[in-house]
Amino acid sequence: MSVRVTDIIEATAPAVRDLAIERWCADRPAAELLAACAELEAYRRREANLYKRVRALFFLAAIHRYHLPARSGFPRTGRVPYDGFSRMLERRFEEAISGFLRAQAAQGANETLSSALAAAYHALGFQTLADQVRHTVRSTRGNAWMFRLGHPLDQPLRVRPELLRNNDGAPQPVLRERTPVRMDLTHCGWSDIFFLGMDFPEGARVLNVSIDLGLHGRDPEPRPPVEAYFRVIDEPLIRLASVDLEATAEVRELDEVFDFGRDYLGLLKAAIIAAGLVPPGIERSGAKLAGLLGVIFGPGRGFELVSNVNRIPKGSRLAVSTTLLGALIGTCMRATGQIRSLAGPMAEAERRMVAARAILGEWLGGSGGGWQDSGGLWPGIKLIEGVAAQPGDVEHGLSRGCLLPRHTLLGPDRVPAAARARLQESLVLVHGGLAQNVGPILEMVTEKYLLRGEAEWTARRRAVTTLDEILGQLAAGEVRALGRSLTANFFGPLRTIIPWVSNLYTERLIERTRAAFGDDFWGFWMLGGMSGGGMGFIFAPARRREGQERLQEIMLTAKRELQAALPFAMDPVVYDFAINEHGSTAALLAGADALLPAGYYQLTVPRCLRQEARHLTPRERADLQQFTQAARSRPEFAAVMPSLLDRMLPSATAAPEAGRLDELLAENGFDRAQHEQIRADLRNGRIGLAMNRLPPSTRIEDVPADALFDAAAASQEFRRQGEAALRAGEVAVVTYAAGVGSRWTQGAGVVKGLHPFATFGGAHRNFIEVHLAKTRRTARAFGGEIPHVFTTSYLTHTPIERFLRETAGDALDRTVWLSPGRSIGLRLVPTVRDLHFAWEETAQQKLDEQQEKMRESVRTALAAWARNAGEGSDYTDNLPGQCLHPVGHWFEIPNLLKNGVLARLLAARPGLRTLLVHNIDTLGATADPALLGWFRAAGATLGWEVMAKRVEDHGGGLARIDGRVRLVEGLALPREEDEFALTWYSTNTCWVDIDRLLTLFGLSRGDLANPEKTATAVRTLAARMPTYVTLKDVKKRWGHGQEDVYPVAQFEKLWGDMTALAECANVFAAVPRARGQQLKDQAQLDIWQRDGSAAYIETLGDWKQT
Amino acid sequence: MKVRKALVTAANPRQRSLPLQMLIDPQGESKSALQIILEEAAGAGVEEFCVIVCPGDETAYAGACGALRGRVRFIAQRDPCGYGHAVLCGREFIGDEAFLHLVGDHLHVAHGATSCARQLIDVAAAEDAPVSAVQPTHESLLTAYGTVGGRLVGGDRPLYQIETVLEKPTPTVAEQLLLVPGLRAGFYLCFFGMHVLPAEVFDLLEEQRAAASGQPLGLSSALHALAARRRYLAFSIAGRRYDIGAPYGLLFAQLALTLAGRDRDHVLTQLVELLATRPG
Repeated sequence: MSVRVTDIIEATAPAVRDLAIERWCADRPAAELLAACAELEAYRRREANLYKRVRALFFLAAIHRYHLPARSGFPRTGRVPYDGFSRMLERRFEEAISGFLRAQAAQGANETLSSALAAAYHALGFQTLADQVRHTVRSTRGNAWMFRLGHPLDQPLRVRPELLRNNDGAPQPVLRERTPVRMDLTHCGWSDIFFLGMDFPEGARVLNVSIDLGLHGRDPEPRPPVEAYFRVIDEPLIRLASVDLEATAEVRELDEVFDFGRDYLGLLKAAIIAAGLVPPGIERSGAKLAGLLGVIFGPGRGFELVSNVNRIPKGSRLAVSTTLLGALIGTCMRATGQIRSLAGPMAEAERRMVAARAILGEWLGGSGGGWQDSGGLWPGIKLIEGVAAQPGDVEHGLSRGCLLPRHTLLGPDRVPAAARARLQESLVLVHGGLAQNVGPILEMVTEKYLLRGEAEWTARRRAVTTLDEILGQLAAGEVRALGRSLTANFFGPLRTIIPWVSNLYTERLIERTRAAFGDDFWGFWMLGGMSGGGMGFIFAPARRREGQERLQEIMLTAKRELQAALPFAMDPVVYDFAINEHGSTAALLAGADALLPAGYYQLTVPRCLRQEARHLTPRERADLQQFTQAARSRPEFAAVMPSLLDRMLPSATAAPEAGRLDELLAENGFDRAQHEQIRADLRNGRIGLAMNRLPPSTRIEDVPADALFDAAAASQEFRRQGEAALRAGEVAVVTYAAGVGSRWTQGAGVVKGLHPFATFGGAHRNFIEVHLAKTRRTARAFGGEIPHVFTTSYLTHTPIERFLRETAGDALDRTVWLSPGRSIGLRLVPTVRDLHFAWEETAQQKLDEQQEKMRESVRTALAAWARNAGEGSDYTDNLPGQCLHPVGHWFEIPNLLKNGVLARLLAARPGLRTLLVHNIDTLGATADPALLGWFRAAGATLGWEVMAKRVEDHGGGLARIDGRVRLVEGLALPREEDEFALTWYSTNTCWVDIDRLLTLFGLSRGDLANPEKTATAVRTLAARMPTYVTLKDVKKRWGHGQEDVYPVAQFEKLWGDMTALAECANVFAAVPRARGQQLKDQAQLDIWQRDGSAAYIETLGDWKQT
Repeated sequence: MKVRKALVTAANPRQRSLPLQMLIDPQGESKSALQIILEEAAGAGVEEFCVIVCPGDETAYAGACGALRGRVRFIAQRDPCGYGHAVLCGREFIGDEAFLHLVGDHLHVAHGATSCARQLIDVAAAEDAPVSAVQPTHESLLTAYGTVGGRLVGGDRPLYQIETVLEKPTPTVAEQLLLVPGLRAGFYLCFFGMHVLPAEVFDLLEEQRAAASGQPLGLSSALHALAARRRYLAFSIAGRRYDIGAPYGLLFAQLALTLAGRDRDHVLTQLVELLATRPG
């Protein structure tokens, strides 16, 4: 192929423009790829067109990430300059790239530097795209004035006089906006991502339906689930209330409006800003909020904004938060005359403006949605399509498409009433209960689109035609065919573009529904970013009602089976729904109808009732009167009355949870005396994040490659010895499975080992199944059995045991063993000192401007929480399981000694001599005969596997510390930059010589029968190991799928520190990345699949038995 | 386009005393605001005047007309049915002619020797088209004025073809519909309180009244309709308008009149002295 790499970007002919970068790179040697990188680098620096630049950046990222490392002979090791890395954390990507390129010129190209370049190019690509969207949002006509306004006297908005009370004692009028949510009937391959619509407007098309919603069995009928209320108040401040989040606030200062993380009312604040009431341009102007409000509402006046979502759980994939933002903005704009009418629907131009403001609001609030997410503002069914930028558009010359799409309402002429009815008679909407972060998915989609991966590009084009297919079926009322198309879309294009959209839970639901309903189950449909949350099941109309009931059971059963493995936020629910033919609609409520939602009074009345009547403000008095009157005549208000008393009296519901925590602590051998010592040390500053570090005078040097054993060059002799040991049954595998994968599910507390994260051998597999499949294959290859031990903790033992009992059957306790944890810690509220250390002294990823502001604000709130809750006090305000913590993997092997598992193993297999110990997420670790032979020949106590570092490998490495070669934890290094001087990263895979280790503990095989002696030996050695204090993010779930994340303090001891013991003989081997890499974050999965790692793991396992 | 008649609206019940306010004109003579307005029109060649007033105000207004009293006719707007309706009240007086329309709560001060009304009538005559006087106005003041959107057609003269007219728009709407190339960011062409209109505007007002029976009748929507029917221009006058109904409006108008006249130095001296003695 003769095209240059930049020709692909420049070409107009689809055959070249859509050429996949992987195809172009396929047969080129590393030297040619490096030349292409130089060409792309020069091109992207001189190119003015945004999307050409971005495409070049993604090409560069892909070549460095996937193609150069895949070339044999490409140097594996190098050093990432710390300066470049810190620039990257500060989001100064251009400077980081320059630094990395300078290092490449000095060191020569290598895999380590390529990993850094790939990360920086990738991040710069997304930064460029995001900056462009923001720029366009700010420049959009109708938005720009708000960024110019810097003084209250310049505020041009005035409240509509109809919202001001006449002086007749009547209640203040209330403006109410009711908005349906939207569902995307096509799921057109995430084509509503802004980046895609702005580059490929002709491919950005969705079929979007506005719907009313109700929870099946709870609500009498579907209604618009999102409501916003606005009223003028006789106080110079802003009152905010979120009924669904049960939060209220009074905002008196201008800066508080821009403080999004301070409370749960960030969305309401973003709406106020995006609606222009407190315009973004006035931030940090020093102006007084009362003055600004006085200009709009009159001196001494302010307003109240109330949001109410009809208890639709988070993660519904129905764009509830964007819809709410739209409703809030809409009501604020109506109140100030930016929307002409105070009642009824909006005009088309007004809907478009509200949609543009909602995008602005999402940017302000640091979140992001697709461009179809405000679809609920429009009525009924509509086709939303990308629009090519024309001269005069702010996007013209910058991108091919406009930011905002075109909405074409599909009236009865396009989709007849009968067809609409048929859809409603067949479709069952559900929330499966899974809460997952779809952010990485949207990034993956964007990147794959720009790289034009062959399979993904074919799938995207197929998805675009699917829309026409579905549109035709919908118009003809052929719902059965529609169901077929939607199912085909999910299992075809969508899963091809992003394999991670499906999961075991979803597929189990589909399978069981199909089994239950046979031909009357017409199809499955995924709403939104990924499945497991909002989903649709299509049934023959005669069985739809039955489908609703059965689905509830099927989902609940499947959830119970998988709740330890997947991050469920709540029990699944079934919705009732109806197409909303009005879109967002307002009403001006006056007189006795001037009521806020019933839940608002539930929230605010108890506080009023606790006060003496004479202390009530006129507004509070009027609210009480309105509410009392309403409670007499309106059932929904009367229903609130009993709960008012509950709210006024202290609740006793926390007591059983507290009791359960005490039980758990007792069951798991919690050491109260040690805990109190740690608390005292923490409060006194004897331990803490800063104290984890080695003294600054420590000499830290890198370890040269020739000091390590090169696994790739293992001799046949080593292999032969290893094979002999395997045949003789002298080896067992130990997998750490005590953790809940804080990073893997962002603290959701599921058992990582049980997470069915990928498919192997044609089925979803969890980590434990993968490890067993590898061990099975090794055992079969060499004859005999290899015992496999999974170490567990209080968090993971029961679910893992249940899983293994079901899947391994009688192999449990014969070839598969469980080693229950015998150590446990109770988390502590962190000290403010440690919080600040974590936030300020350690290198952190800087976020973009708005997200950074959010983070600052959240941090202030968290520091206040730590102070109020009591620094160093027990963290008990969560589910008991979330309050406990494992105490580090140092204890895992000693636990084998303490809990008798090693003794039983040795009794069953006296010939056992060596253990291979590894993390649950080190998927490539196997009982490799060559490495086993090397370790046995070395005669060491412990043999450690390390691999060449990449930029993403943090947490320490192999170093010569004051002359001794040892592993060192990242948190023990005196300076952040020390880690960047190290070439090798620990895989945490360790070979253990059982007898030598026992000797190190001062034990023999026979002593293992003596629990006291074993326990004393362990305690003695443990006392010599360093204790690290760490902060972990823990989720607290509440409400309807809402979550908060708290950083809590815990301590741990780590196995790698064994290398620091003088009497412990250690050897180290350099292993290939495919063997040593760990999967810590679900966002890694896509890379892991694309770089060939997944295919490699597939070859390691014997998948037939599971 | 010959302009012989002027129609002045002064029937806002909340501002009925404004045209009667006394000011000192650039020549140092004490006159009512109404007299200053009428004299400006007379100086531009207008021969007959009609003032729309609230019922019962005729006598007081007649006394405030000065020497032009004999050429002024008063028509009472019986019910306050809106600004457009007040204009419509003058239909019979105007007949089929083009006319100069002024509002009773605005005074105008030209930058040069040619009065604002003269500038406007000259443009209307030269272009043979209705013309509204406009002034670039900051977006923070949009909610006080009728505003036009259009494009520059006058070459080096600030003459615009009007495409859209909206009454008191929000900046949100103005940015979408009323941006005029060539103006500073955040500025829009807002009415000056002075128009040369064809009699056709009365037909448009009648149509609008019939379409929205019972609603207050504005002028802007009729002018918007006018722009759709025929060539309708906006001219950015070399002068400034002063809304004497706005807070301190009368004071600013007086200052503007004085600083453009013979007592300029005297008043400036007084102002400087005032500033010097009350610096804070």
